[in-house]
This record gives sequence, C-alpha cells and structure tokens, in this order.
Amino acid sequence: MRPILLALAMLPSVTGAEMVRVPAGTYRPLYGRPGDAPTVVAAFHLDRDPATRGEYLAFVRANPTWRRGAVKGVLADRRAYLADWRGDLDAGDAADLRRPVTGVSWFAARAYCAWRGKRLPTVLEWEYAAAASATRRDAARQPRFVQQLLTLYTTRPHPLPAITAAGAAGVANHYGVRGMHGLAWEWTADFNSVLVSDDSRGVGARDHDLFCASAAIGATDPANYPAFLRHALRAGLTGRAAVETLGVRCAA
Amino acid sequence: MRPRPLLLVLASVLALTACARRDAASTPAVTTSVEPAEERVSLYDLPSSWRDQRGATVHLDTLAGRVRVLAMVYTSCHATCPLIVADLKRVEASLTAAQRDDVGFVLVSLDPARDTPGRLAEWAAATRLDPTRWTLLNGDADAVRELAAAIGVRYQAEGPDALAHTNVITVLDADGAVVHQQLGLGAESRGTVDAVQRALR
Repeated sequence: MRPILLALAMLPSVTGAEMVRVPAGTYRPLYGRPGDAPTVVAAFHLDRDPATRGEYLAFVRANPTWRRGAVKGVLADRRAYLADWRGDLDAGDAADLRRPVTGVSWFAARAYCAWRGKRLPTVLEWEYAAAASATRRDAARQPRFVQQLLTLYTTRPHPLPAITAAGAAGVANHYGVRGMHGLAWEWTADFNSVLVSDDSRGVGARDHDLFCASAAIGATDPANYPAFLRHALRAGLTGRAAVETLGVRCAA
Repeated sequence: MRPRPLLLVLASVLALTACARRDAASTPAVTTSVEPAEERVSLYDLPSSWRDQRGATVHLDTLAGRVRVLAMVYTSCHATCPLIVADLKRVEASLTAAQRDDVGFVLVSLDPARDTPGRLAEWAAATRLDPTRWTLLNGDADAVRELAAAIGVRYQAEGPDALAHTNVITVLDADGAVVHQQLGLGAESRGTVDAVQRALR
C-alpha cells in the first residue's frame, strides 16, 4: 500500500487533476430577455487546466469502447475523432501528452468527465468563469479584456502548447483557472441549449419570428463579441462532432 | 452526418426562422437530404434507456426494423408542437396502407418530468395517434439531452412552463441511420414523404 501512496503523492501537478473553486455569484447571460434579473450561479469546481492528451489516453486505455478504432459513429465522427493521434493508444511523444486534447466529441467529453467522477460545466458556468480577467471577476464588458480575447482567438497557436506547472497554458484568471481563452474551445454540457439566431444583437420584432416560443430570447450584451463567437461555434455543433480546435475541461 | 460547421450554422438559422409563426408565408420548411455516411452511424447505438407510453422500458434499438419518423416535442406545448405532430400525421396520411405497416412514428418528450408515460398515453389518445404506429418516449434529462445532441435539436427552458426548441423532423432508416431531416415546419412535407418512401425501398 505504502509505495502506491507514495507514487500517487509524487504525481506531478501537471496531471491537471487540480480543480479550482469558483464561488457563487451572478451573471448576465449573453442571451436572455431584456429586463431579466442576472442569473444566480451556484459555486462549483472547475479543472484548473483543460484535459491533456495524456489524461485522455488514460481514459481510452481504461475504456476500450472510446478508442479511435472502436467508438460508435453516433457518439463521435470517426474521421475526426482524435484524428491527430498516431494510433488508438499513441497520442504522441512526451510533449504531445501534455498538450490539451482536442478532436473529442461531446459524447466523448462527457464520458471522459464522468470517468473522472466529474461532469461537463454548463454553458452558464463556463461563461461565468470565463468572464474573469486576471484581476476582475467580471471583465466581460471591459473593452481591453474583450480586445485581448479577440486577439487570442485569432492567434491561437497550432499545435497547442504543452500545459506545464509554470503555466504555459495561459495566464490564470481571477479564480485561478487557466487557458479558457487561449487554447482550445471547450465543450459544455448543454451546448445545444441556447437558440441563437443569425443576428440577435438588434432587439426587434424580427426576433420574435425566430424562436418557437412565446417570448424571444435576445442578446443582452452587444459589446460581448467574443461570447458571440463562442455561441456561434456551439450553434454549429452536434454531439458527435469532433473538431481539432475543440477540447474538454471538467467541472464538479 | 459529417459536421460542416458553417452549413450547420446556416441550417440552424433557417430552422429557427421557420418555426414560430404559422401565418408568416415567408417561412417555408427547409429540408435537408442527408448524404449516406461513409461509415455506419446508427442513432440506435445511443446507450440511453426510455419508457414508452405503456410504461415499458425500451432501448432505442427496439425501434430498429421499421422506417421511423421522429420528432421531439412536449405535450403541454401549444406553440409549435401541435404543428409538428400535424406534419407527422400528414406524412402518415400520404403513405399507402401497405407502406404504413412498415413505418413508425416516434415522439420524444422534451419535458420528461411532466410527460410521464401515463400522460403521454392520455395525450396520444386525445390526439388520436394510432397506437400500432406511434411510439411516445419518456427518458431522463440526460437521455433527452443526448438524443437532442445526436440529431441536432436545440432546446432550452424558458420559464417554468415553456421550452424553446427547434423544430426538426428526422427520418431514420430501418437500421437507425438518419436519412433525412426537415428543419422547420411546412404544409409541404413532400421531402419527408419522399425520404420515407426511399427508405422503404
């Protein structure tokens, strides 16, 4: 027993198992009805870093049905799922194993988090945590922060850098969560919830034609353009989609 | 089924455009022929389990063997769900008696907490859905989210009594492969009927 415990204790912190507690607060979702009160977000835990290829490799080793050659087509697009791996159980060299895993479907991301005893964050949780800059809890309306995100989104490194203890994953935000913007896009539990129209930024009568419900859900925050980009990406996905710039970070 | 993000974005925009107002003549249904996948993709490989309107536990693969026309609705919905069901009934009516024997219609509840099997059975009777052909499914929130994610249905609670959702009618072949999707509603469901008849051949 003792040697095993010792080995566990010596696992380097870059395994990404570390979670950060994100305290409760309120958040104004990008899409809501004008005049809605801010949404209350309960406290939750979020992985400090996105899941790495090495961590995902451990998952597919333990769960053969999620290997590239075995996964069911309805659960992942087999032509794109882990497409940049060398083989079913070969995710690359030591540096590759520390890069964020991408090319995972929503079904796969969910199964991965469940295997770790966690879950995917909701859109609300993800956006709430991602609104924090290095210094402020809610910087979503800060022009400089918005500009930084747009720059990060357009200069995304390829391949993604390795995640190291020193933080190559990006600067920690106010909560201590790293790389939410500078690395891969990330799956959310209810990515297929928000109904996004082609352009909801104008709140007009037209919006009411776009939704199958009594009241339209309109964008509350036209200035938050990075959030529009994220919502547009989510709107283009189905659960089996695997995209080379889309990864996973778990919540609990 | 291969995801092409731009096309899918366009498709969802069109679906939303088409779904709300019946009186808007400018909102025709958009139908999408789904190219045969290069690999076998069956909706029936989803591992979720469900209860039908009789209360029996079913897995999706029990739907195999017949062509199926599937939509996600909820019984307390008065906006567009009745129109989806009307579209499905129109498809049913367009088939010959012989064809009808080989086609099943599946309604999956987006509101599983309220749409219990008993409630689904009552509603099916009130809506005069032929029990030999219509299957109504109740699953837990995860099962519903998974199925919606698999076929591209988007939905969101909108207050305690309403759900916003996209209107999608999906045709599945006897093996559970998606062969056609109608996004939005239309008096003209020709594309869906054609897809069903192709799948029957």
